[in-house]
Formats: sequence, structure tokens, C-alpha cells
Amino acid sequence: MFDHIVETQNLSKHFELGGTTIKALDNVDIKIVRGEYNSLVGPSGSGKTTLFNMVGGLDRPTSGKVYIDEIDIAMLDAYELAWLRCHRVGYIFQTFNLIPVLTALENVSLPMIFAGVSRSERKKRAVELLNMVGLGERLHHRPMELSAGQQQRVAIARALANDPDIILADEPTGNLDLQTGLEIISILRKLNQEKGVTIIAATHDLKIIDVSDTVFWLRDGRIEKVERKNAD
Amino acid sequence: MARTKNVRDDKRKIELPLLEAFSISFEQIRKRFKRSIIVVGSIALGIALLTHLEMTNIVFAAYMSSAGVTIEAYQFWLVMVSLFVCGVGLINANLIATYERYREIGTMKCLGALDQHVMKIFLIEALIFGLVGGLIGFFVGTLTAVASSCFQLGIDALWKTPLATTLQNLGLTTSLSVGLSIVSTVYPALKAARLNPIEALRHDV
Repeated sequence: MFDHIVETQNLSKHFELGGTTIKALDNVDIKIVRGEYNSLVGPSGSGKTTLFNMVGGLDRPTSGKVYIDEIDIAMLDAYELAWLRCHRVGYIFQTFNLIPVLTALENVSLPMIFAGVSRSERKKRAVELLNMVGLGERLHHRPMELSAGQQQRVAIARALANDPDIILADEPTGNLDLQTGLEIISILRKLNQEKGVTIIAATHDLKIIDVSDTVFWLRDGRIEKVERKNAD
Repeated sequence: MARTKNVRDDKRKIELPLLEAFSISFEQIRKRFKRSIIVVGSIALGIALLTHLEMTNIVFAAYMSSAGVTIEAYQFWLVMVSLFVCGVGLINANLIATYERYREIGTMKCLGALDQHVMKIFLIEALIFGLVGGLIGFFVGTLTAVASSCFQLGIDALWKTPLATTLQNLGLTTSLSVGLSIVSTVYPALKAARLNPIEALRHDV
């Protein structure tokens, strides 16, 4: 019996585009096991990002349900949803989405402000996290002064700020070169193994698929197959 | 892992204390300094015109020792139109400023910000713009009014300028400029704060 941290049931998302309905997601059922490294894989337009958004509570489904720890997130009000994003889920985006006017340290501190962490504690933890991702020397640099790989590492540190148990990563290596991509993947893998953080990465990067415990293959908004690497 | 961190039974909160909101707003203003100057400048200009007319009247009235201060109808309308133009300009500037920050707002919402937190940051910025613009406008307006009055009436007019009325005027114009700044921010800020995170993140400028 697995402990499912995230589960979807008949999850569908339709978009109206010029009079035709596009089924970005069509009755998707996935079960994410707590503490595993998961990949959502498929060609572009297969619904990876849409699924990512649904699971992260960033967008509402047309029909079907998303459960996080057996709670239907459609039942949550705006406050509870924001709470979920703040405390339980860390997001990593392909385009990093750092706040340009803030330094690396301030970017990592931001989620902790919303979580009500005191100023001194925030700083201490942000420095720790940035050291962990190897950016201890770049604390006061702004995103524009950092390379793409460094920006993504700031984003990882930020995603970890409130000690989430799920990390959602949308094409985390999509804008990075091979070597930097590998570094990011190994940071995520380490987090997963050492802290037991559940990782869900939407990707078509084969290197991410290699390290995953479970791979969900998507095509045209449906789950084509589920591949378990470590059958335990 | 045994920890169950559910929304319903976890006591941890999400919040944006006023002091933190102030420091974020302050950073925003500091780091977008050119835009801030333009906004403050347009508020100051409208308020300066208003103050100039009012103070000229006050100085003249005090010099002539007449009881009441009358503002001519055309002056009144001139000021109204200038404040209206100033307000429209501010709404426009604020709309553009919020568009520029859509992605940032989306990001903040992904990190746990509530609509009211986003509103708070924008309104505090508006408050600061209103205060600074109002004060600058008042001093510029008063200075030009007193100077031109003295030029016409002689230096005596300066000593006869009533301090109490002037201070009263300061309070009025500053509240007016803060009000103007906040009112013109509400619509753009509400529009931005209510976006769902995905719409906001998808936004390209």
C-alpha cells in the first residue's frame, strides 16, 4: 500500500479556442507516492504544464478532482489555497520567475515573509539555502547579474524556503545548457533522497527521466503509460 | 514521513505584516526610481497649481485685511480640470506600472501571497507617492504664490501671511493628493491582485 501525497481523479481541463474545444487534459488519473521523484513526460502540447498547474493548485480544472493528502483542493478557499502554496508546495519554473528588483537573498526570503518567519530567522535560513545550492558568494546579486543556472539555483533555494513536502518543477532544465542542467537535476535528486521531498517535474529532458522513480508519459492530454523504475 | 501538514489542522498562518509590506513597497519605489519620479512629479504639479492659486488668494486677502478668501469660479474650474487630468494620468501610469509587474505578482501568489497582500503593497506605494508629491507640490505652490505676491504687493505681504491658514492648507492639500493617488491606484491594483497566478505568469510585456 502506497502513501499517496497527490492524486487526481478524472481530471480534465478544456480550453475554448476559436470556437473549438481543446482537451488539454482528458480524464487523467495519476497517483504520486510520497517521497518519490516523479516525471511528467510528453511532447509539447501533451498537457504536461496544464497538469503541473492543476496539481499545484495554480489553476482550476474543468472537471475532476485533485487531492493533496486526501484533501480535495477544489474545496479550499482562497486563503487555504494560498496557504498550500506557501507552506506545502515549492514551485520551480522553466523561466525561473525570480523577482528582478530583489537580490538572491531577498528572493529566497520572500516566501518566508508570507509564512511569518522573523527577519533574523529569514536571513539565516536564506543564507543556509543559498549556500546549499552553491551560491553563498552571490547573496546580494540580482537575477540579471546571475547566469541562467545560478538563477535556477536561486529558484530552487526559494522553493525550499518554507520546507515544503512537494516540489513542482516545470521544465526546470529547459533553459539551461547540458552541464548546468545536470547540476540542477542532481540538486533536486539530493533533496529528494536526503529530505524526502516529493518531486514532480514536467519535462522532456531524458536526464531527468533517468533519475526518476516513476515516469508518467502523457500524450494528447491522456496518460499513455506509467513506468516505475524501482519496483518496490 | 509521519507529519501530516493539512490546511485544516495546521496552525501556521500566512500573512504580510505592515512593516514588511512597507519595506517591499519602499524597495519597489527605490528600484524603479525613474518611474517613481514621474508619478510623484505629476502629483506635485497638480497640487502645486492648486496650492499656488489658494495661497495667492490667502496672501492677498490677508494683505488687504478682508474677511473672506474668495476663489474665482474660473480658478476653481482650472484647478478641478488640472486635478482631473492629473488623476487620469496617474491611472494610466499605474496601469502600465502594474502590467509590468504582472509576472512578479503571479510569482508572489505562487509563493503564498493573498490578493490583499498585493493590494497592500500597491496601496502603500500610492500612499508614499501621494505624501511626497503632495508635500513637494505644496511647497512649490506656496513658494511661487508668496514670491509672486511679494513681487506685486511688496515684502510686507510675506509677514502678513497667516501661518495657521497656511498650515491648514498644507493638511488639506496633502490629504487631497494622498486621496488622489490612492483612488487612481485602486482599479489597476485590484485588477492585478485578482489575477490567478497562471494568468499573471503567462503575461508577457
